[in-house]
Amino acid sequence: MKALNRRQFLRDLGVSAATLPFIAGLPSLTGAPMPQRRQRVVIMFSPNGTLPADFWPDKEGADFEFKSILKPLEPYKDRTLILNGVYNKIRGDGDQHMRGMSCLLTASELMPGNIQGGSDKPAGWAGSVSIDQEIKNFLQGRAETKTRFGSLEFGVAVPNRADPWTRMSYAGANQPIAPIDDPYQMFAKLYGKMKDKDSLISVLDDVSADLKKISSKLSARDKALLDQHMMLVRNLEQELQNPAADAALQHPMPELDPGIELVNDNTPEISRMQIDLLVNALSNDMTRVATLQYMRSVGQAQMRWLGVEDGHHSLSHDPDDNKESYEKLKKINTWFCGELAYLAKRLSETPEAGGEGSMLDNTLIVWTNELGKGNSHTLDNIPCVIVGGAPGIKMGRHLKLDKVAHNRLWMTLAHAMGHQDLKTFGKAELCEGGALNLA
Amino acid sequence: MLLVALGSISGVGAELPLPEHPGAVIYKKMCLDCHGAKGEGVAGKYDEPLHGDRTLEALAKRIDRTMPEDEPELLDAAGSAQVAAYIYDAFYSSEAQAKNNPARKDLTRLTVAQYQTSVADVVGRFRPGSDRPPGAERGLKARYNGFMLPQAEPDFVGPPAEAKDEKKDRPKHRFERVDGQVAFQFGADSPDKAVMASDEFRVRWDGGLIAPDTGNYEFVLKTQNGARLFVNNNETPIIDGWVSSGPDVREEKKTIFLLGGRSYTFTLEFFKYREDASSIQLMWKTPHGALEVIPQRYLTPNGGGIHMVVNTTFPADDRSEGYERGAGVSKTWEQSTTDAAIEVAEHVEKNLDRLAGTKAGAGDRLDKLKEFSRKFAETAFRRPLTDEQKQIFVDAQFAKSPTPEVAVKRVVMLSLKSPRFLYPSLSELERPDDFTVASRLALELWDSIPDAGLTRMAAEGKLRDRNSVATVARRMITDPRAKTKLRGFFHHWLELDRASTIAKDAKTFPGFDDRVLADLRESLWMFVDQIVWSEKSDYRELLQADYLWINDALAKFYGKGDAAAPGSEFQKVSFTNGQRTGVVTHPYLMAAFAYNKDTSPIHRGVFLTRNIVGMSLKSPPMAVEFEDSHFDPTLTMREKITAMTKDNACMACHSVINPLGFSLENYDAIGRWRTQEKNKPVDPAGHFANEQGQTIQLNGARDIASYAANSESGHRTFVRHLFHHTVKQPVAAYGADTLETLRTKFTKEGCNIQKLLAEIAVIGAMDEVPPPAPPAPKPAPAPAPVPAPAPAAAAAPVPAPQSTPPPAPIATPPAPAPVSPPNNATPAKS
Repeated sequence: MKALNRRQFLRDLGVSAATLPFIAGLPSLTGAPMPQRRQRVVIMFSPNGTLPADFWPDKEGADFEFKSILKPLEPYKDRTLILNGVYNKIRGDGDQHMRGMSCLLTASELMPGNIQGGSDKPAGWAGSVSIDQEIKNFLQGRAETKTRFGSLEFGVAVPNRADPWTRMSYAGANQPIAPIDDPYQMFAKLYGKMKDKDSLISVLDDVSADLKKISSKLSARDKALLDQHMMLVRNLEQELQNPAADAALQHPMPELDPGIELVNDNTPEISRMQIDLLVNALSNDMTRVATLQYMRSVGQAQMRWLGVEDGHHSLSHDPDDNKESYEKLKKINTWFCGELAYLAKRLSETPEAGGEGSMLDNTLIVWTNELGKGNSHTLDNIPCVIVGGAPGIKMGRHLKLDKVAHNRLWMTLAHAMGHQDLKTFGKAELCEGGALNLA
Repeated sequence: MLLVALGSISGVGAELPLPEHPGAVIYKKMCLDCHGAKGEGVAGKYDEPLHGDRTLEALAKRIDRTMPEDEPELLDAAGSAQVAAYIYDAFYSSEAQAKNNPARKDLTRLTVAQYQTSVADVVGRFRPGSDRPPGAERGLKARYNGFMLPQAEPDFVGPPAEAKDEKKDRPKHRFERVDGQVAFQFGADSPDKAVMASDEFRVRWDGGLIAPDTGNYEFVLKTQNGARLFVNNNETPIIDGWVSSGPDVREEKKTIFLLGGRSYTFTLEFFKYREDASSIQLMWKTPHGALEVIPQRYLTPNGGGIHMVVNTTFPADDRSEGYERGAGVSKTWEQSTTDAAIEVAEHVEKNLDRLAGTKAGAGDRLDKLKEFSRKFAETAFRRPLTDEQKQIFVDAQFAKSPTPEVAVKRVVMLSLKSPRFLYPSLSELERPDDFTVASRLALELWDSIPDAGLTRMAAEGKLRDRNSVATVARRMITDPRAKTKLRGFFHHWLELDRASTIAKDAKTFPGFDDRVLADLRESLWMFVDQIVWSEKSDYRELLQADYLWINDALAKFYGKGDAAAPGSEFQKVSFTNGQRTGVVTHPYLMAAFAYNKDTSPIHRGVFLTRNIVGMSLKSPPMAVEFEDSHFDPTLTMREKITAMTKDNACMACHSVINPLGFSLENYDAIGRWRTQEKNKPVDPAGHFANEQGQTIQLNGARDIASYAANSESGHRTFVRHLFHHTVKQPVAAYGADTLETLRTKFTKEGCNIQKLLAEIAVIGAMDEVPPPAPPAPKPAPAPAPVPAPAPAAAAAPVPAPQSTPPPAPIATPPAPAPVSPPNNATPAKS
């Protein structure tokens, strides 16, 4: 494992709390119209179910107390909405894991296929669009909400294979979207080739010096070509040093720490880098929809950074009375919640551009899971926590719902994003009752 | 000093003026207004310079017949001869041109092809074996893996057997074979339906994929089951269709850019589970082809290599001199070389430990990375680094970079952005040395960098004398890279660019579609390859062979009645009736040099004049578009063209172009033989005056082919084209006699193309190389070991891939083994 320098990475992001007040809200200075209120949604996924007894609060309403797994959300209690009683009611082909993952955001059945799970019939990809892409398509269809990317799919430690256990976003039937789990690749997508800028400037400097040396030994005619070459190199160097594109960004382009390998043990660093990039992309309004996928369904991450050597999925099968495994699973799920809390923190520290409050006020982070409980493989009562804010959704509550199909939750999310025309989503029969009332 | 001396001599001459040349007097009076004082041309009148290949006699005749323009009667034969004599020596002839503007070698950068190939081979140096020729066997190694069909139950009824549905209890059935191509309809059955169960099986096809040309390849995978395709890497599939989804056959596509002439590692995995049926088809569309099942001839059971293929697009190279060369730089080019350098640096970063022969955590990793960096720069610069250079290009980069990985990236970018890489002829040496020779040979014959064997010979000082260099050149010609380079030459010489835009009128030529065109192209390449890479390698056969390579689709258009059987592969079909004569009448070229319904004798004639017969042509004095609708529709094409070009001004060139073009009138706009046009008999007869002023009678295509195949000018133009394509500098810059020496040798030695290519490469490589020092009087040192490469026998190189020298031992692990077995579809228990 290489030396990490996450602090530098954060600093280079240029969005630390101290600098922010000066950077944000710049559009008014440039005379650009004040942006409309930007509503955003981030869907965060973690695998293998939760531990219900240490997840769901006892009391309903505003007067609830966090159990151990959700404790990291304490600072954001008044902006947290815990939805107890959301069911993934999709049946059909594929085992519980496959449907837990690939039907999670699509809320419709899988296609028949050749992928055999641990039970049930083999299945293929999801049969329809996922809610994040549905919202993206809606926002991209309107000039005032259109952004450069429309949506961004972040991953953390997602294995390099494509099957129904590794994909949750779908552009449509049979069109899985691979999350990008390499922060460097994501960086390149967001900021183009600028990531090798420093190296390139340094290299061009050396090239110029060498050109000069060789050029002095050439005939006049040959020298002319090399001189022309040298001029081009210098121009390129200058362009790199004064990039015009940077000026258009409200939040300066971050510089990535070099050399963090995409290996299991670096997951905590990669997670934070991805969250930092996500916040940067949102603050620069490159997208208003994002997903953040940790590992995959049936994921076997070994969270050695928590002192857990066992694979996550194997642990999740152990019975509740296996105290050792139980404690480990608690640690694992609490760690995921900590990443959620970090995302909330970063958003809460970033003032809304040209508006009131912080970015968290206008972002709905939905944290969900493939299963309700690891060792029962149930798709009932899947973990569902929303942090942030949106008009029409009352936060700061633990809400018990009556076995509602998760189709209806996604409709609520779409409506909160302005997509009021969505009358059903996914499997239509499960949409009876319409969007949930979370006011 | 020399210049001063010359100046004073001419000064003396000026004091004693010679009587003016009588031709000069006439020239000033009648010609200078339009042609300029030195024949340089006058804008708005006649802006082409008066240079040409005609003999003095031919020039005189020509002037007498056509000049002054529109009033040729003002100048009689004697006067014409005087003017001709004057301008011939003053500026017209190539000798005069050479005297007035001595040809010189320009500093040039890498061409686009040279850049792409060089980069692939610089990185390939760290993957030993990646440039190994693919071998002669074709097809893919196929491994089929499934279960036995259930055996018939014995009659005996005993206690119930335990459930046997667990996979591990099922008897397996496996077999291997070589499959020519991947196009299978298994239906509801298994690949071996007598023995193998159909509910679950998998197939893995391994081998190499040969890309015939550089460009974009679209792969199309069709199946209703699971499949994934790996090309040029063993880790990430370019098409991942492992998940079958729904009952329909899915079509997954992916386009990747490949360099021509290389064999790429290739794996296709297929998986059938409980779907009702199974099938798989793997197709491609090559840069100039049509969608087809990948033919067997492009698949090899021996694995191909992994090649660094630069995806960056470059601006096209300069072709103003008639051949592609790296003249001039531009902002776009600068940007492209930068993008490409970053692309390569990223590739190196991703594969660093493997390329550098180390692994994470190794104690000597830093040393290995530095060693890699030094070798990388040396390979890119085609010579060892001096201590000072090592400091700049390697040590300083490690000193100032935040991590060793960043340092390596910087070395890669710096090496590839350096003029030492981009301008291979740049030299700080007084005289070329062994490394210069190696570098030139590699560029000439491979468009690339020297390989490890060549570099080693340079280091050992074995590239000083002509004979050993000639041996090396002959060895290099057997490498696939030389074939690619020569393919590029034929592409250029036969103007195949033009062919990429062929589109024929569907009503006039029903069925003549992209598929047929792709087959025609293939037919042409088979024809060329088969001749060039035979032992005789005879240029005359290229022009005069009476056969075509034809498959069933082509037989429908070009067969002799006894059309090839449907579905038949390409085979050599002779036309003893005299209807075919080599590339001159190949239907692909006939179709390219034609309009969408009609022939174009002018396009055909210009091509024959310039590229085959070898006479130069000026640009047309005025742009005249051929408008078919302007002519009486009952006229034949010959009648139309004759009417259109009847002006004297036109006839200056069309007196040659037209008869050559008309000699191909027996071939319609898609190259089919015809004897009638507009219900009139086709007239291919004509005559033209060659550069010696002799009249050549033609009665069809065979006469033209025969004339070019056996004339000095035909040979000369072929030699010149090949020289320029190979060396990318004007041949005259290598000595006034070089072209003629090469031509004489070519004519004498049976017009052997491979020998000519080697000869050209040696001339280019040995330019200004000092002769080897005379043997020292001291006791001779121990004899140097025999040169490493196993040279072909002194005779002509044989076409089959000869034993290329083994790659130099480099401390790098062997090419990566095939990927671990495919992911099982069954997950961990859940």
